[in-house]
Amino acid sequence: MTDTATHPDDHAISRRAVLGGGLGVLATFVLHPNRAGAAPGRATSASGATSAAALGAAATGGTVSGWVRVNADNTVTIAFGGAEMGQGIMTGLAQGVAEELMVDWSQVRTEAAPPAQSYVTGGSFGVRRNLGAMRLAGAQALDVLRRAAAAKWKVDPASLTVKRGVFTNPATGAKLKFSQVAAAASALTPAASPPLTPQSAFRILGKTAKRVDLPSKVDGSATFGIDVRVPDMVYAAIKHCPTIGGSLAATPAVPAGAIAVVPLANAVAVVADTTWAAFKAANALSVSWSIPSAASKVSSASMLATQQALMASGTAGSPVAEQVGDAVGAYGSSAQQLEATYQVPYLPHVCMEVLNCTAHVTADSAEVWVPTQAPAWVVGTVQTVTGLPASAITVHPTLLGGGLGRKIEQDYVLQAVTVAKAVGRPVKLTWQREEDMGHDQYRPSGLVRVRLGLGGNKKVAAYQSRIVTPSPLAQRGWIGPTGNDNVDGAVELPYTFGSRLVEYVRDPATIPVGFWRSVGESINCFAVESAMDEAAALASKDPLTFRRMHLPAGTRARKVLDTAAAQIGWTTAPPAGRARGIALATGFGSLAAMIVEISQPTAGTMAVHRVACAVDVGFAVNPGQVVSQLEGGIIQGISSAQWGRTTFSSGRASSRNFSNTRLLKMRETPVITVKVIQSGMENLGGIGEVGVPPMAPALANAWAALTGTRLRTLPLFPSAGGMGD
Amino acid sequence: MTYNVNGKTYSIDCDPDMPLLWAIRDVVGLTGTKYGCGIEICRACTVWIDGSPEKSCEKKAREGVGVRITTVEGLANDPVGQKLQQAFIDVQAPQCGYCQSGMLMVATKLVRSKPKPTDADIDAAIGNICACGTYPRVRQAIKKATGQ
Repeated sequence: MTDTATHPDDHAISRRAVLGGGLGVLATFVLHPNRAGAAPGRATSASGATSAAALGAAATGGTVSGWVRVNADNTVTIAFGGAEMGQGIMTGLAQGVAEELMVDWSQVRTEAAPPAQSYVTGGSFGVRRNLGAMRLAGAQALDVLRRAAAAKWKVDPASLTVKRGVFTNPATGAKLKFSQVAAAASALTPAASPPLTPQSAFRILGKTAKRVDLPSKVDGSATFGIDVRVPDMVYAAIKHCPTIGGSLAATPAVPAGAIAVVPLANAVAVVADTTWAAFKAANALSVSWSIPSAASKVSSASMLATQQALMASGTAGSPVAEQVGDAVGAYGSSAQQLEATYQVPYLPHVCMEVLNCTAHVTADSAEVWVPTQAPAWVVGTVQTVTGLPASAITVHPTLLGGGLGRKIEQDYVLQAVTVAKAVGRPVKLTWQREEDMGHDQYRPSGLVRVRLGLGGNKKVAAYQSRIVTPSPLAQRGWIGPTGNDNVDGAVELPYTFGSRLVEYVRDPATIPVGFWRSVGESINCFAVESAMDEAAALASKDPLTFRRMHLPAGTRARKVLDTAAAQIGWTTAPPAGRARGIALATGFGSLAAMIVEISQPTAGTMAVHRVACAVDVGFAVNPGQVVSQLEGGIIQGISSAQWGRTTFSSGRASSRNFSNTRLLKMRETPVITVKVIQSGMENLGGIGEVGVPPMAPALANAWAALTGTRLRTLPLFPSAGGMGD
Repeated sequence: MTYNVNGKTYSIDCDPDMPLLWAIRDVVGLTGTKYGCGIEICRACTVWIDGSPEKSCEKKAREGVGVRITTVEGLANDPVGQKLQQAFIDVQAPQCGYCQSGMLMVATKLVRSKPKPTDADIDAAIGNICACGTYPRVRQAIKKATGQ
């Protein structure tokens, strides 16, 4: 992998780059990379270009760069390299800079960094990996500003006080604004490691800061990708081969009402003068597809049979994902045994903003406006289509109307750039909802078989998990033929099990699979936390008690469980007709315990009344935002657990629109309480995903408690999975 | 065709069968009104026609003639709308924000007809889909804006 653009001597380069912008007085800095931590397979090169090899490498550090600009009105503009898709990252990272820069939150503005300084937003890494680098950037900016001010007054920099972006010379009472010294400061080289503000003195970090993007989201002025308008723009619609794996056989003639038809590998794009004209022409277009016979035979039933055979046959060469002790022997000799196989479906992402991308390609340049979680990868995609150098490519990352892992992918970008190149005009490509749901890169389906062997003391002496799923990493060539995938949530569990064995078996299914909010955790947490309840029943133990038996006093996991239990009054019986279910998730650097309270209003339906959540995020950069993300994760978790799935028949996806893809509505939303535990800055964890995985097992556990029926297959209520007007 | 959108007059040249949603977004050029499903389920496309919330994705462009259209861009002209916009910010309701235009158009109409909406009123009125799960805070915003 490469993580250049972060050498210490890059400061000068970036200063030039931004000073050239001519926006008044500027002081700019490249942030140092935060080399701690790693996102699997996500790296960008110095040029902003991304090669397949770089993406495939197991990255050992993320490249983060950004700027601080002091504006003429003494506000500061903070660039950020992430994707704002509702999780508040733009605000959280800016808080880190503002804290160290000694400005007030009201003085902060934000803007997107160029792709070369961006990073992939995913894995709940946005704030936890980059906060240190952003704080350093703020401290470095303050360092040069302070020295520039001191030089004007010919005093010791350390003697100056600073507040709200204004230096005071205590000897004379004279004041200098940042904006008055920014030009001089920009000529200085910042100290490599200026001191950071101690946590006890935080003014902005750890406080609920109002999100910078919200005013534009209530008055219609926010620009999502789908809202981009550029001069002379035309509009494109996509029509994919309905059978996954099929390809375009012949390019159809341009129909009436359209400007062009552009052939793509597995689709055609129809270009017209409005979005609707393009949709209409695409829908009416008759297209000849080439469909391999194997592709046309793909069905959910046949894929399930394959997974069942793989479950029986075992690992096929993959190394065990986790092995502690002899879990096979211990299981065999255990006093009580639980074996249960859990099944999860393919899941569509369903971002409210459908996939879209606007592109303009000329002979010597390309410009792209796109809602993306991976701006640097977009540069690489444009290069694939155009052959242009990265320096000739401009990417404008927009706000995302949801990302959920889907907007990491490059399929829609590749299409838009290809169409733009073909028609020679700016083009906005918009997928209709049916294309968006029908041609997703789905959360993998899977089978997980859990075995828990209980000793005479009713404690788990043996834990085994065998996971059979297709592999997003393998489909992208990021892991070799025997690499593991989708084991998160099955390995490194916080429980004190006597022995452990976790195996991954790759399902070679050809359904395109990708990264769905909480990825492997969304699969394994359902299996493990359902099995824990089943084992508790076998042991005649209360589900909370049984979990606590495996969580030593003082552990973070025990504390989140106890905190959630206290919130809902676990030891007090629920109201008549209701039952509770509990589940614990650890992942993304955080821990979340959920307790749900449900009833059965009519036979075979579930109403969720309450959710008590406790989450340990280490340190809450923006506590209000932590609560929001947990609320959102809980609601998405309830929707997907009850109804979410995509099935396949004759190679075609079932998901088409909200008519058969149901999401929770206001009237179905439970009362949610979230208790945020802060166990320490050293435990800074992610918040975007950890709320999702515990919902499915908590609901299944509650259902078993309420009805006596154990549901081991998701979704829990597949026949209720549609919505009407 | 001539439109009255947010009190301004627009001269529109488009296929009268085009959905009103796309006429507003692509032809009038106001993009606050969102496409989510195109089949009148998600309600991201909600606008007011003569003051009444309507899903614009299956209405025809010609149905926008001779009526007053209000979009989220014009919501601040309505005192109740303005109050709700502020309440949405105060309680930090939006996440990705994509569905919030439609949410606000429906919520404002609810509060105009029921100045102190109950939870049941809110449940009945807000049928909008939000994939981020902002419902608890949208409810909170409506309560806050109505002094509850």
